Amino acid sequence: MTRRTLEVSHLNTSFFTERGEVKAVQDVSISVNKGQVVGIVGESGCGKSMIARSIMGLVKKPGKIVSGSIVLQGKELTSLGEKELCKIRGKDVSMVFQEPMTSLNPTMRVGKQVQEVVAIHEDVSREEARRRTLQILSAVGIPEVEARYNAYPHELSGGLRQRVIIAMAMVMKPHLLIADEPTTALDATVETQIMALLKQLAKDGTSVLIISHNLGVIAQLADYVYVMYAGRVVEKGSVFELFDNPLHPYTHGLLGAVSSLRSQTKVLQTIPGVVPNLAHLPAGCSFAPRCSKCMARCGSEQPKLVAVNPEHEVCCHLKEGADSL
Amino acid sequence: MKGSKASNLLRRLLYALIAIVGVATLVFVLLRMVPGNPVATLLGEHADKETVERISSSLGLDKPLPVQFADYLLGALRGDFGQSYTLGKPVSELIGPAFVNTLWLALAAALVSWVVGIACGLAAAIHKSTIVDRLFMGFSLLGVSLPVFMVAMLLQYVFARYLHWLPVAGVTDWTGYILPAIALGWGSAGSIARLVRSSVIEVLQQDYIDTARAKGRTGTQILVLHALRNAMLPVITLMAMQFSGLLSGAFITETIFSINGIGRLAVQAIAGRDIPLLQGTTLLCTFVIVMGNLVADLLYSVCDPRVRKEA
Ligand SMILES: Nc1ncnc2c1ncn2[C@@H]1O[C@H](COP(=O)(O)OP(=O)(O)O)[C@@H](O)[C@H]1O
Ligand code: SF4
Ligand SMILES: [Mg+2]
Repeated sequence: MTRRTLEVSHLNTSFFTERGEVKAVQDVSISVNKGQVVGIVGESGCGKSMIARSIMGLVKKPGKIVSGSIVLQGKELTSLGEKELCKIRGKDVSMVFQEPMTSLNPTMRVGKQVQEVVAIHEDVSREEARRRTLQILSAVGIPEVEARYNAYPHELSGGLRQRVIIAMAMVMKPHLLIADEPTTALDATVETQIMALLKQLAKDGTSVLIISHNLGVIAQLADYVYVMYAGRVVEKGSVFELFDNPLHPYTHGLLGAVSSLRSQTKVLQTIPGVVPNLAHLPAGCSFAPRCSKCMARCGSEQPKLVAVNPEHEVCCHLKEGADSL
Repeated sequence: MKGSKASNLLRRLLYALIAIVGVATLVFVLLRMVPGNPVATLLGEHADKETVERISSSLGLDKPLPVQFADYLLGALRGDFGQSYTLGKPVSELIGPAFVNTLWLALAAALVSWVVGIACGLAAAIHKSTIVDRLFMGFSLLGVSLPVFMVAMLLQYVFARYLHWLPVAGVTDWTGYILPAIALGWGSAGSIARLVRSSVIEVLQQDYIDTARAKGRTGTQILVLHALRNAMLPVITLMAMQFSGLLSGAFITETIFSINGIGRLAVQAIAGRDIPLLQGTTLLCTFVIVMGNLVADLLYSVCDPRVRKEA
């Protein structure tokens, strides 16, 4: 088998609302290799979660994958029926959601909720399933697992709950773990712990797709980064390339926001302007209304993703053609 | 945790007791506030003053009110509600068998409302905004808005007089309970169905349902294993409240279907100004309603671990 765990190509996912088609994901291609940690970063609402849901086959109505292909371990997912997808979810690909407070069933013991995953995908005895549950719970750093097994979600802290959710996602040793803003709802200390845990998982060979609006999280975890704006990938590259040599004006803006956080400025520097309405995208570059380097052709012509070197691609007219910035 | 559970139960029992004593007091006071002498009513217009006084004293009505009240409370505690004025028997002997009949009717109606309500609500939620949804919700709305006596007479006409499938009135065997149970239960079936529907729809939008899907659970499994229990939490409370409603609704249903229940007895008691009988029937109903709510509370805390822990 190839070293490619995931290959998403030309994915388009839209919501068909009364106010028209909301193009949440447009022509997105992403690949994740075995053992690689790939990050997706971008402001809230830019379509990150919709990519994750598309991969999981969990896009809710009125949303729908319009076109594109999603290949996991050599298997095309977009053509699978619900029944076949159920066999893949939780086993080959799993997902950690943003909200540890609400992502667990409040009336079910947490141990049972983890054990359930084993029972769905494997025909093992209850004792064996329980043994594996306890094992994974301690592997994700939960103390006193025997007691915690019987706890209800409200009896655990946010950090412990997120560990339970990660245990749930890891218990079948999936090829790919998608973590959608796994630390956004947690405080800084707990965030550090959860990040260390994810780093460890990746070291042990799991491919991870980490999604965040926080560049700091991405910088710490990812090997390779995709920057998204208004449903599109606007820049991608290895984490070193991207942070040392950002090319897209939007990435510059994001990095500016991070450094002002680092220097503890009271005023949080953000990119001026607002994210465009995905139902009525402007012609040309979506970032044009907020871009300080906007040129005449930006308003009419959609820029293409072009490679500046094998490790780095950007989608901006400044970088198209022979001229360099 | 065990200790808080026990003290929790004790606290709830105390509340129940306070509620019952409260109602008992209220009933006593209200019945004494009604103008007119009950003995005079009993004996008719032409009774002479002396007879009225003699009977009053034999019934203990000449004693000061606080003494009457104490007698009444202590008696009720022993299950002794005194002698019925109009039927000449101890109240406890009258309400016992009548209550059994009412209880059967209420239970049958509750069964109808739970089964029909939950099934319709679930079906409507699963097929949200389709014809199935509208059909079941229309059916529920009808049940909620039609008065019990109209439903009862409609059912009597169609199934008893016209189709001759079931008895018109009176109970000789269990078939006699079918029409009254439907008449009485339809309304609460309607409100249960509506609550089940909205609750299931809401629960299905929760984050943990996404989690369950991400685990590889199928839609049906999610409904049964993750959604139902959470969705039923608010419904349990409603079902308990409705059970009280069924008991009071039984007044009308019993009259229309000639069932010798507590409701009919209470109507008789009101008509005859039969204070002991009225006190007995009211207190018994209060007791059952309070106990019903207590059971619902406990059931709720068994089903919801978050409530269970709060002391
Ligand atoms: N139910 C919905 N109906 C219409 N549009 C939606 C719906 N859910 C999401 N969207 C659109 O999809 C876009 C991307 O959402 P999402 O992927 O959740 O963003 P994020 O990057 O914050 O995870 C949103 O900006 C919104 O316009
Ligand atoms: S294409 Fe033009 S508007 Fe868009 S980011 Fe590049 S310079 Fe700015
Ligand atoms: Mg998101």
